[in-house]
Amino acid sequence: MSDDKEKTKEEFEPKIIAFLCSWCSYAGADLAGVSRLQYSANIKIVKVPCSGRINPFYILKSLQQGADGVWVSGCHPGDCHYLTGNYFARRRFTILKRLLEYIGIEEGRVHFSWVSAGEGQKFAEVAREVAESIKKLGPAKRLVKK
Amino acid sequence: MKKLKMINKKDITKLLDELAKNYRLLAPVEKDGIVNFTEVQNGQDITLDFYNSKEPLKKLFFPQSETLYCYSKEQGRTVPEEQDKRRKIVFGLRPCDAKAAVLLDNVFDGADFKDPYYLEKRENTIICSLACNEPQTSCFCTSLGLGPGDKDGSDIFIVDIGDKYLFEAVTQKGQKLLDEMTGTYEPEDKDIKKAQTLITESENKIKKQIETACLSEKLDELADSPIWDELAEKCIGCGICTYLCPTCHCFAIVDEASDCKGCRVRNWDSCMFGNFTLEASGHNPRPTGKERMRQRIMHKFNYFVKNFDANACVGCGRCFRNCPVHNDLIKVIEKINNAKSEPKK
Amino acid sequence: MSDIQQQIQEHAKKLLSDKTVDLFIGYKDINEPMLTEPAFIRDAKDADQLIWNPFCEHNLAKYLVGRNEKIAIVAKTNDVRSIVVLINEQQVIRENLTIIGVNCDDVIDRKKVEAEMDGKDITSAQIKDDKLIVKAEKISKTLKIKNYLHDSCLDNKRDMSEICDIIIGEKSSCKTEEDKYAKIRELEQKTPEERWEYFKKELSKCIRCYACRNACPLCYCKSCFVDQKFPNWVGQTTDLSDTMCFHIMRALHTAGRCVDCGACVRACPNGIDLRMLTGKIEKDVKELFGAEAGLNPETDNPMTSYKEDDPEDFIK
Repeated sequence: MSDDKEKTKEEFEPKIIAFLCSWCSYAGADLAGVSRLQYSANIKIVKVPCSGRINPFYILKSLQQGADGVWVSGCHPGDCHYLTGNYFARRRFTILKRLLEYIGIEEGRVHFSWVSAGEGQKFAEVAREVAESIKKLGPAKRLVKK
Repeated sequence: MKKLKMINKKDITKLLDELAKNYRLLAPVEKDGIVNFTEVQNGQDITLDFYNSKEPLKKLFFPQSETLYCYSKEQGRTVPEEQDKRRKIVFGLRPCDAKAAVLLDNVFDGADFKDPYYLEKRENTIICSLACNEPQTSCFCTSLGLGPGDKDGSDIFIVDIGDKYLFEAVTQKGQKLLDEMTGTYEPEDKDIKKAQTLITESENKIKKQIETACLSEKLDELADSPIWDELAEKCIGCGICTYLCPTCHCFAIVDEASDCKGCRVRNWDSCMFGNFTLEASGHNPRPTGKERMRQRIMHKFNYFVKNFDANACVGCGRCFRNCPVHNDLIKVIEKINNAKSEPKK
Repeated sequence: MSDIQQQIQEHAKKLLSDKTVDLFIGYKDINEPMLTEPAFIRDAKDADQLIWNPFCEHNLAKYLVGRNEKIAIVAKTNDVRSIVVLINEQQVIRENLTIIGVNCDDVIDRKKVEAEMDGKDITSAQIKDDKLIVKAEKISKTLKIKNYLHDSCLDNKRDMSEICDIIIGEKSSCKTEEDKYAKIRELEQKTPEERWEYFKKELSKCIRCYACRNACPLCYCKSCFVDQKFPNWVGQTTDLSDTMCFHIMRALHTAGRCVDCGACVRACPNGIDLRMLTGKIEKDVKELFGAEAGLNPETDNPMTSYKEDDPEDFIK
């Protein structure tokens, strides 16, 4: 892990943790894979049942443990498999994102999206966007636990 | 090899600068209105115009978080080593904090167990205490067998006598350091007398008292007393009193690990926290604040007395000054002394 | 002031003698300059121990959770709001509570007063009308009380009379707060690096005593996330990253609930300005969801409710 941090920005390969809801976004990732769409290999996926399951601590701990960026994705509002999970998640993410940026975590480290099971193309596009944005920022140094 | 030396106040910065070259110098530094002992390179960064540091000095020998050792699959076990091996000088410590270290020695340098982490730091440190010319209104050290001029625990004892400081070597360690100090000269009798007068005046300024003569025995009789309900009622169960107390020393050892490597760390813990005695089964022998408050008082004024013939308190007043609900140990002890004894159930 | 004190004592005597309540929580004097302490009165004859002055700073709502007794509680405006949140979260039984709202409730910030005294120990502090006469060795100052109030009092002016069972004191003239988030907006304008340095500096003063958590009436979890080992959310060491995560998470847990009573700031032995964190969340919740905590026990908590058109411009 520490070797990554010493490389130059060009050689820097970020470690990105993606929390994907299993019913929509994870299925969307699956579709992207099956469709042979290319996206960054830096993204490591953690499947959760619903975006509403995401405890803000998952994002904080990812940043603490050395992730350079975090991406959270769920079902479109109104399409949640559990009906309302993503509505609550949306409010939580709004507050969390603003707080993280307020304390100085760079804008562009933590991303959120709605990707449905049929949006393989969108998944790959957002994945590319997320990876590019975090690569540009360089290795995450703030909040990292020594 | 003179035991007593003087230095002019205007020369103290130069002396400290020199000491900082060969030693790691810890002295009171003010930051955002709070004074704490900090490592300094320049004498001018320190302040000796303070009552007492916010945090006690126990952090120096018994850090709040101390890595005992690290382990990994590749390297096995590694014990962290201090990078800067120079000896340390603590300059400007108050007599209560110096005495607190002596009390902590009972625990960490005891007959049955000697803590190598604590001892290495303790032996490597020279303590230069500064007498209190001006005690705080919350001080009550004189009730506990010490005072603004108490030298127990100091290697060198310093008294501020106006435009000069009087230094006295108390131990051999202190004498050795005193001999190294430049810019000093011999005191006259009037200087020594002035120092004594200032200390006596300071002792007389201490108004608060606690009565500990029969306290330990009284506590034995109060184990089941309803007085603890009253005493614990307003306590919110934070760790301020224990963390800022110079003699509190409870700790928890935890492993911080992930994958195939980690560290075993010793952290301060507080008997006032709800889960301090929480057992793996889920049972908690001290389930409410009442049991925890009782334990704290018993530990300081009963168990410690029975084990080491001393109260685990130096009368610095930090617990009272910093407590969010202003729990006053003096009033607590007074209530205990006046409480009706309960026969043991 | 002393009139309010008398009324509090009379109410206590009555409520305790006719057994309307088993316990009366208020404030009492401890014979130290500028200090009072929470009082737990169970006998009507002890009612005259109760006092009222601008040093009654504690949020007594802290002592309500987990009690089954019938309780009367002296509550300043912000404290009443804390109680409203506790009622909303079903942590207190409303029927068991007699809320005695004190309208005249500006609390003196002792740290602001201490800053005037050249670092000297204060030996006496007397209130005379709207002035505070404070003495230390060789210093005596007469200060105008309204210039030394807690920021959380200055920033939060509400009329909570509707919720209270008994109201004492003049109805506070509800002046609309000037932008109470001015300091936060100012910090928002700085660069991320400047903000990071600010929070690193502030939070590195933290000694993990958890006084902020313990003083907060809304931190009542029997098992706090800090105490959990599986998973170990926050390490027990003083590692700065862990300390910052503790404060970030605690602030997040107060989202939509914190009433900005200031108990956390007052409890902190190192004077960390925690309101710069909780205030930011409070501001966002208000601006984004139109919600303010502790005004109405029937209103849903904004973090456990939603609107279909909640803002989501940041979501791809």
